[in-house]
Amino acid sequence: MSVPAVISVAQYLDLVNDRLREVPSDVGVEGEVSDLRVSHGKWVGFDLKDAQGGGVLKCFMTVWQLSVPLEDGMRVRVTGGAKVSARFGKFQLDVRTVELVGEGALKRAYLALKRKMQDEGLFDGARKRPIPRFPERIGLITSREAAAYGDFLRVLGNRWGGVEVDFVPVHVQGGNAVPEILAAFEHFHHLGESERPDVLVLTRGGGGLEDLHAFNDESVARAVFSSRVPVVVGVGHERDESLCDFVADVRASTPSNAAERVAPSRDEVRYELDAMTRRVEEVLRANLDARRRIVEHAASSASALVSRQRERLTSELDAFGTATDRWIPNISERIEGALRVLRQVDPNRVLARGYSIVKSGKTLLRDASELVVGTDVSVQLSRGTFDANVLRINGTGKQRLV
Amino acid sequence: MDFAKAFEELEAITRWFEQEGADLDEGLKRFERGLELARACKERLAEVEANVKEIKKKFEA
Repeated sequence: MSVPAVISVAQYLDLVNDRLREVPSDVGVEGEVSDLRVSHGKWVGFDLKDAQGGGVLKCFMTVWQLSVPLEDGMRVRVTGGAKVSARFGKFQLDVRTVELVGEGALKRAYLALKRKMQDEGLFDGARKRPIPRFPERIGLITSREAAAYGDFLRVLGNRWGGVEVDFVPVHVQGGNAVPEILAAFEHFHHLGESERPDVLVLTRGGGGLEDLHAFNDESVARAVFSSRVPVVVGVGHERDESLCDFVADVRASTPSNAAERVAPSRDEVRYELDAMTRRVEEVLRANLDARRRIVEHAASSASALVSRQRERLTSELDAFGTATDRWIPNISERIEGALRVLRQVDPNRVLARGYSIVKSGKTLLRDASELVVGTDVSVQLSRGTFDANVLRINGTGKQRLV
Repeated sequence: MDFAKAFEELEAITRWFEQEGADLDEGLKRFERGLELARACKERLAEVEANVKEIKKKFEA
């Protein structure tokens, strides 16, 4: 096209802009945002600064084109049309697309995905499954080379023994990480119930956002969520977070902490076992004691009964003794008394005093009027006997021969 | 042995004693079982090593 020799400013700028339209508009230009301004709620302008060399590209767009939040200092990649604004006479880029690159972009993508998954309910506490207190079999997904592997197994060994650990070695960063981790989850997911672990552990050491990319990958996070076996995730250090952390059934802060969450402590369990047996013994002993008291009480009641009997018997015997002590002498006295009387009435004694016993025939005579004059009577003296004839009775009878 | 089952059974026995342990016959039986379980559990605690088995995958890159 032939250019006339003299043209107006507007015409010149048109010429320039025509040439500028030949610059490919799909090339991405990377730089750092600075001096960001939004005017009237619709016009966005910022300087895109060249990080290395210097060089500033003025960029313009409208708010409605902004799909990402921009901030000064962010690294972005823009595409658009280069032109000189007629109005201000300045070279600028009319931005068509803008995207975040580097840490900023990853962070943004991460936050967006995090919000999306949260809204879907993948982080809900209610869906988190409990892990068994005493696992028999653990599935371990981590890198063989990482310190995480050694840390996890060491702490596991310190706390608990006799566990089966099914270890699936994977890359935890780099291009192979995501497919390998997904494959590991597939492996465990399809195991039969007898071979399936009680809990899975996905773990790695710390790192930056780029290093942790696999743990922020949506498909990996979803694999954790839909795992048939509860998953413990332990990534890096205390302050690191990843999407897998939020989706996990149990979030551990580090690989060592993952071992602590997964396995009980021998010492604590031993303590509990002892406490339980002690408790049981206590109750049993209290029980036995109560019973023993009942038996003893009964026995002591019985023995009290027996002692009471014994006491009564003893006191009765005593009384008996006392009594007998009294009536034996009594009896002796009475016998003595009786004997005395008897001795008094002993006929021989009487006879010795000069009395005699007179009998008529066999009849003992007391009353003289029973006698008949002229009959014979026998007389017994203290010594000897004689017969006599009755002469007179009470003064009458045969005359006395003088 | 299944440690978890043994431990749970021991916990159940302890609970029984705390709530109802009045029957002496039953109590003695359970006490013996409890001791058995505690002993078995302690034996298991004495195990030191984890048995690590590496799964070789076809798809490992």
